[in-house]
Amino acid sequence: MDNQLAPLIAVHQLTKNYQTGASDLPVLRGVSFDIQSGEAVCLLGASGAGKSTLLQILGTLDRPTSGEVLYRGQNLFKLDDESLADFRNQKMGFVFQFHHLIQELTALENVMLPALIANEEKESSREKALSWLQFMGLSERHNHYPHQLSGGELQRVAIARALIKNPEVLFADEPTGNLDSENSKKIQELFFELRKKLGLTLIVVTHDLQFSNLFTRVFNVKDGRLA
Amino acid sequence: MKFYFWLAYRLLFSRQILFGGSAPLSFFGLVLGVAALVASMAVMSGYEETLKNAMTDVTGDMQIVRRGKLVDDWDAFSKKAKEIEPRIQAMARFGYAEAVIARKGQVSGVLFQGVELSDLNKVLKIQHRVKSGEFHLDTDHIVVGQGLAKKFDIKVGEKIYLVVPLSTPFDSSGFRRQSKEFIVSGIMDFGKNEWNDRLVLGDLKALQILTEIGNRYTGAFVKLGNRNDSANAATRLSEKLGSSFSIMDWNDVNRNLFEAVKIERAVIFFVVLIIVIVAAFNISSTLYVFIRQKYSDIAILKTLGLSPRKIRHVFLGQGLIVGFGGVLLGFLIGFLLCLGFMLLQNHYALISGSVYKIDRIEVQIRWLDLFVIASSSVFICLIATLSPAIRGSQLEVIEGLKNG
Repeated sequence: MDNQLAPLIAVHQLTKNYQTGASDLPVLRGVSFDIQSGEAVCLLGASGAGKSTLLQILGTLDRPTSGEVLYRGQNLFKLDDESLADFRNQKMGFVFQFHHLIQELTALENVMLPALIANEEKESSREKALSWLQFMGLSERHNHYPHQLSGGELQRVAIARALIKNPEVLFADEPTGNLDSENSKKIQELFFELRKKLGLTLIVVTHDLQFSNLFTRVFNVKDGRLA
Repeated sequence: MKFYFWLAYRLLFSRQILFGGSAPLSFFGLVLGVAALVASMAVMSGYEETLKNAMTDVTGDMQIVRRGKLVDDWDAFSKKAKEIEPRIQAMARFGYAEAVIARKGQVSGVLFQGVELSDLNKVLKIQHRVKSGEFHLDTDHIVVGQGLAKKFDIKVGEKIYLVVPLSTPFDSSGFRRQSKEFIVSGIMDFGKNEWNDRLVLGDLKALQILTEIGNRYTGAFVKLGNRNDSANAATRLSEKLGSSFSIMDWNDVNRNLFEAVKIERAVIFFVVLIIVIVAAFNISSTLYVFIRQKYSDIAILKTLGLSPRKIRHVFLGQGLIVGFGGVLLGFLIGFLLCLGFMLLQNHYALISGSVYKIDRIEVQIRWLDLFVIASSSVFICLIATLSPAIRGSQLEVIEGLKNG
């Protein structure tokens, strides 16, 4: 199949079991779907339904028990750790419920990290990071450490960090779960503004039904299956 | 590589590490270990060097002594020696005799050594060893060791009698005494305690007159271009000059002592290195705790595309930073300890002369010692960080993100 015509992400019969003592706990039970480039996909479901696990496997942060994830036709889990890390760095951005910023680094340094990991020049990484922070309205705060920033600001720094490498897919796991309603709304709007501006594919896990209404596709995850 | 060091450095200097309990103590242990290594090696090297200098200052790089009888033809003897060993730079004739010093009703056995004055400064570096008075030798003037001066309460400018027993040609069991009054021009620190307590140095002419040996002498002190060639030169001269000559280099005179110093240096190095090893493993355990605390950061770094191999590089970078930091600070404290040792030596007798032959040493810091200390300490730190680094690289991203 021509890679350009293949779906951006194709998931085939994905299963994931966790070992609990002597027995296996199935979390995903044979999930299959395709995602096209530029789609905004929401994974909705109750706690423990398997939506975060699904997102983590799609984002190559975890390996499936069986099944495959094809990215433009390429089986991601056939890559070794080194190639998979490079792939993640180049193609994917991540935002989590908690900002996961490194406390010892400034906002600017946190945003620069993915570019520095990709061996980009420090100066060009700095310029890109500054322009993203400016876009997020945080140019005055670039030298602040995470403990000097508010919850909304932290999450915007985390989003800037996720975008500095111009990823094709932005994964977000409950990105507004830790924010008040005002900041939640701002972040939700920001996601769709970014999607429009950058042509991003969005894959977002949320509990928020109102937020889920903004997406082009919604997958209801229930008992490890797509309902 | 620059990025890994930068990240390692930034993560290392976190509040958790700096104020987190055992980390600063572990690091201080490493610093102390390195400092102890620097100071102990400097003292051992200094002891060896001070003793070597004393030997070569007072008796030259080598001594050639005629066995059984005295030498009389200096020109032929020195020409032959220089032909055999071209590395000889200069030679000075000397003679010695067992003598008795008599002063204020006290007597004591001494070694009266006479050196040819015209060649003395080419071979021996003795003038800087004057403690009081001046280094002036002639047929009436001598210098004595400071131990001897103290024992007999001899001051510069005072007179002492040297008495030499001479055998009589008619009766081999009898002897007659020959004595002469000398003026003490200087009190010397000859470097070794046994010399300070026993040696009287004078003009060869004075010795020849006192002992009635005419123009003959016992042997020659020899100066080489490089004193480290002395063992090789001594063997060569010994082979060519034959068994009627005894050749001793500075190392021969105290061979056992120099061998013991070498062994002690190695033993002390490894014993003190244990402090560094213990400190390094304290650092290792601190890093384990650090990794536990940084679970979430490691997970996010992996999420951002840092592979397990690169995570290992970051933690090994921390090991290198800690190692180099410990070495640099340890060197500084080690140098201060050496300085303190030198200052204390001025006020207190830290070294017993009767045990160690010398009672004062010049501390010597050798580049080779510093290199060995630095490389072994950094290597140990690197090894100690290896295990936490591997552990850190193996952490599951999902677990780390949950811990965040």
